[in-house]
Amino acid sequence: MAYSTGAPFLLHLTLSRFLPSALPGLTCAALLLALVCTLLWQIAGLSGGEATLFASLGGRDWALLRFTFFQAALSTILALTVGLALAWALSHQRRFFGRSLLVALFSSALVMPTLVVVLGLITVLGRRGWLASGSETLFGVGLPFSIYGLGGILLAHAYLNGSFCVQTLLGRLEAIPAERRKLVRSLGLSAWQRFRLIEWPAVRGSIAPLATTIFLLCFTSFAIVLLLGGSPRYNTLEVAIFEAVKLDFDLARALDLALLQLLVCAVLVTLSSRFRVVDTVVATNPWRFAWPDSRAARALQWSLITFGAAVFVTPLLAIVVDGIGADFTRLVQERSFQQALITSLLLASLSALLATGVALLLAAARRDLVLPNRLGARKGASAVASLLSFSALLYLAFPALVLSLGFFLLARQLPGGLTLWASVALLVANLLMALPFALAIFGPALEKIGARHDQLAFSLGLSGWQRWRLVEWPLLRHDVGMVLALSFCLSLGDLGVIALFGSQDFATLPWYLYQKMGSYRTDDAAGVALIMLVLTLTVYLWAARFQRGGYAQR
Amino acid sequence: MTKLSTLLSAALFGATALTASAVFAADKPELTVYTYDSFAADWGPAPKVKEAFEKECDCTLTFVATDSAIGALRKVQLEGADTKADVVLGLDTNITEAARATGLFAEHGVETPDNLSIPVEWTDKTFLPFDYAYFSFVYDSTKVKDAPGSFEELKAKGDDFKIVIQDPRSSTPGLGLLLWVHSVYGDKAADYWKSIQPNIVTVTKGWSEAYGLFLKGEADMVLSYTTSPAYHLIAEEKDQYKAAAFEEGHYAQVEVSAIVKSTKNMDLAKQFMAFTLSDTFQDIIPTTNWTYPATKTAAGLPKGFETLHVPSKTLLLEGTAVEEKRKGLIDDWLAALNQ
Amino acid sequence: MLSVENVRFAHEGSEEEYHFHLTAKPGEVIALMGASGSGKSTLLDLLSGFLMPLSGQMLWEGKAFQNKPPEQRPCTILFQRDNVFGHLSANANVALGLPKGKHDPDRIEKALEQVGMAGKGEQKAQTLSGGQQQRVALARSLVREQPFLLLDEPFTGLDDDTRHRMLPLVKAMAEDHRRCVLMVTHDRQDAQMIADRLMVMDNHRLVEHSL
Repeated sequence: MAYSTGAPFLLHLTLSRFLPSALPGLTCAALLLALVCTLLWQIAGLSGGEATLFASLGGRDWALLRFTFFQAALSTILALTVGLALAWALSHQRRFFGRSLLVALFSSALVMPTLVVVLGLITVLGRRGWLASGSETLFGVGLPFSIYGLGGILLAHAYLNGSFCVQTLLGRLEAIPAERRKLVRSLGLSAWQRFRLIEWPAVRGSIAPLATTIFLLCFTSFAIVLLLGGSPRYNTLEVAIFEAVKLDFDLARALDLALLQLLVCAVLVTLSSRFRVVDTVVATNPWRFAWPDSRAARALQWSLITFGAAVFVTPLLAIVVDGIGADFTRLVQERSFQQALITSLLLASLSALLATGVALLLAAARRDLVLPNRLGARKGASAVASLLSFSALLYLAFPALVLSLGFFLLARQLPGGLTLWASVALLVANLLMALPFALAIFGPALEKIGARHDQLAFSLGLSGWQRWRLVEWPLLRHDVGMVLALSFCLSLGDLGVIALFGSQDFATLPWYLYQKMGSYRTDDAAGVALIMLVLTLTVYLWAARFQRGGYAQR
Repeated sequence: MTKLSTLLSAALFGATALTASAVFAADKPELTVYTYDSFAADWGPAPKVKEAFEKECDCTLTFVATDSAIGALRKVQLEGADTKADVVLGLDTNITEAARATGLFAEHGVETPDNLSIPVEWTDKTFLPFDYAYFSFVYDSTKVKDAPGSFEELKAKGDDFKIVIQDPRSSTPGLGLLLWVHSVYGDKAADYWKSIQPNIVTVTKGWSEAYGLFLKGEADMVLSYTTSPAYHLIAEEKDQYKAAAFEEGHYAQVEVSAIVKSTKNMDLAKQFMAFTLSDTFQDIIPTTNWTYPATKTAAGLPKGFETLHVPSKTLLLEGTAVEEKRKGLIDDWLAALNQ
Repeated sequence: MLSVENVRFAHEGSEEEYHFHLTAKPGEVIALMGASGSGKSTLLDLLSGFLMPLSGQMLWEGKAFQNKPPEQRPCTILFQRDNVFGHLSANANVALGLPKGKHDPDRIEKALEQVGMAGKGEQKAQTLSGGQQQRVALARSLVREQPFLLLDEPFTGLDDDTRHRMLPLVKAMAEDHRRCVLMVTHDRQDAQMIADRLMVMDNHRLVEHSL
């Protein structure tokens, strides 16, 4: 973050000046942390407090932990390799038809409903999938591998997270100053030397935070492992928690597993203190200097792009092809579908508003605590800022299943009925899910605005609502749109909490789809998957289109 | 939220007959039955059972689907005293002892009828049988030419021969298979599981997910019932689906239902329990749940059932014996699969 | 009258102390010169409220203002850069100088006319050139009507032509509106062109020089 030139300004402004902007965010953070503690307490209470911690865990669970680690590490390495290769190729091939759409599509992987992706992958790579049929027709043999098991999990993780980091890494590569590019160009260095000298240093800073995020996402992966794990052979802790609750109703075990996961993730989240999930969610303006590459390098770039695009688009295409055949007239008349659709849209809209609001408050409070000409120079400010950031990263440490279990147990004691609390649990889970990404967008943006415009705004006496309306809103509104879209899509595609709460009375689209996949209504499943895909892509790409303009001004 | 979405859907799609009936239905007492998804599905027994029972009871019968029968039990456990369930339907004798131990179920008060025709004697005052079947692997005879005739032959098929099974922790067929293998191999069961572990494509939560995968072609065989081919024969007029007859014999499943103690409609629940053994209900079962009815009805079995394989040897463990072994067997099974 | 009386200042963690002593009359233009890092901008930051003095007093017309937040001080400041909000129109930028809640389109138009930006009010500030942006900022200083104006090298980096048109504007502001102007500059010619007095930062102290 580049602050304006000059000495750090120690405003002789009192704490009270920043309370109106910092207090709501700090309150939100405190509430989130308190909520998580309450929910853990709920489970601890019911699992019979006399048992010692981790008493219910056996040798198999350490194997489970080992596998979860192993799987997450492998997924992370794969995803980063894929992402870096694609970003590198795309940064060198800057002009071709559909490039910006492809980049936007890659970035949409972050919000793509995992169930839909898994369904698409099965259609393409399953035992009777497109590839297997093709291979059988051409070579007379089926596929030598199965989509179920470790291979499938890694593939799905690499697919989703690899494409998600393309965007961030590409942003880094495109932000390399033109002078530096000109310099290496004038020295006539090879593609590899250029990568080593200017491109790798440019992306290196993003690797650690990206790796941590991806590792945590894969470590707590639920839907993918549930569907492709060939359960119970390949399990993550998250799925084991689900099974402990749903299959064995062993709450003591669920709590132990949850605490174990919480411990591991909290350590990881804390370790990565310089944690930034996404620096640039949508591409900045591509640089315009021609970059002559050797023929071999160009060939490599083009094969990477072609292969990457094909691998990414084919499963989505499979959803479209399969989905188009669905009986939509019957589907939309089905009451359970209508209910799931409406519930999903309502929940997604609500959680989008909630997540955007809370993220703005958190980001505003963080800005007060971080900027040196606000409260940043005060003692303890950075500690509070870290705690604030941690509250936004809770989802990565805190298993969604435990969250919903806590809510479930809470719901039994409180009035209002299960459906109400199921909705609350879903909203909270979706809020927590969107916060890391939302804060990663709002945080740097608000800090940048503050660093650039604070002096002028302070000297003019612009403050409160007026300042927000004149300065922050015009500069942030594209980001607000992006975060709204992001959290809307994340909520729309989430199969986490609903896996515990879902029932005939209370269903969301992913739950409905999961049910349809479970029963042998594959046509309906394909139809629902298509609807979810179209909804997600429309909302996300629409927002991404607008956001691109928002950066130049700040 | 549901109310809100109901209102919205009514506003959006017009006051359909369905929403209208849901509004008026509030006046009548409602009986809620938790069951596994394929029982509650549109193509399962639920719609016909609902229609028939509602004619008799002046009530609303609601089926709530869970992804498996044990899932229904866990749901009731999770919901505790607040549960909406009046009746849980679809557990089997292998899990009844575990269910009894939860203390959540009440006595059904139904006399065992004379025409009861299941593979065991029945004296249980809490759980009442409504159908039975024999577990079996089902395959497509157009794709699998020489189906295995025993567990040993299945093992000898090699790693390329894929099966899909259900999780014994959630699914009664999954638990049934575990007990079946145990009945055949005894202490050597874990070794057998280890040897066929490469054949298992995936382990699903419930029966319908496994069967769906099988129909999609993801596996050569699926754990189901000897009666499953009847569905393809009668409903789809396809005769290529067969149940593999195993010479070791087949493990039987007797499916039961029980009243949830916390019900506010005890009389209605008892009326429903009695109804499950009526000819009306029993005649719905074969061609919707694709199992054998628990009683010999006047109408008898539908045409097509005579083509099904009837095991020469029936295996079935006592409920109490199962409960003693269940946890240990599941642990061994998990350990074997985690190799 | 502006008086800075024995103001002492040191950056955090630094031993070096700055001493400022200065008086200025309305209508007077004072040029501040000195090597880079000598503390010229520090004085402006102290006056405008972005830094706190260790001791000493700053008064306007006999009233101390060193404890007031930036927006309540009797001054208006032009920085080297970032003087306008690029996403707002020139009009909106100038309007920010008016007292809160006051709409006065005529006043804005007149101010823009004074700085030679007539007819450009609707344009977004970021579409204007650097010199034009500084003129818009100057127009805002005009409508703000604060008794003293602080200029932190706002004309550095502008071409000679523009600079030579801006400087008389500043001079006119001082004379016509009886404001006092403190202008940090590197350019002796600029100082000679409009300043009445010249002060130089020497060894962390402000010293009066002849022009």
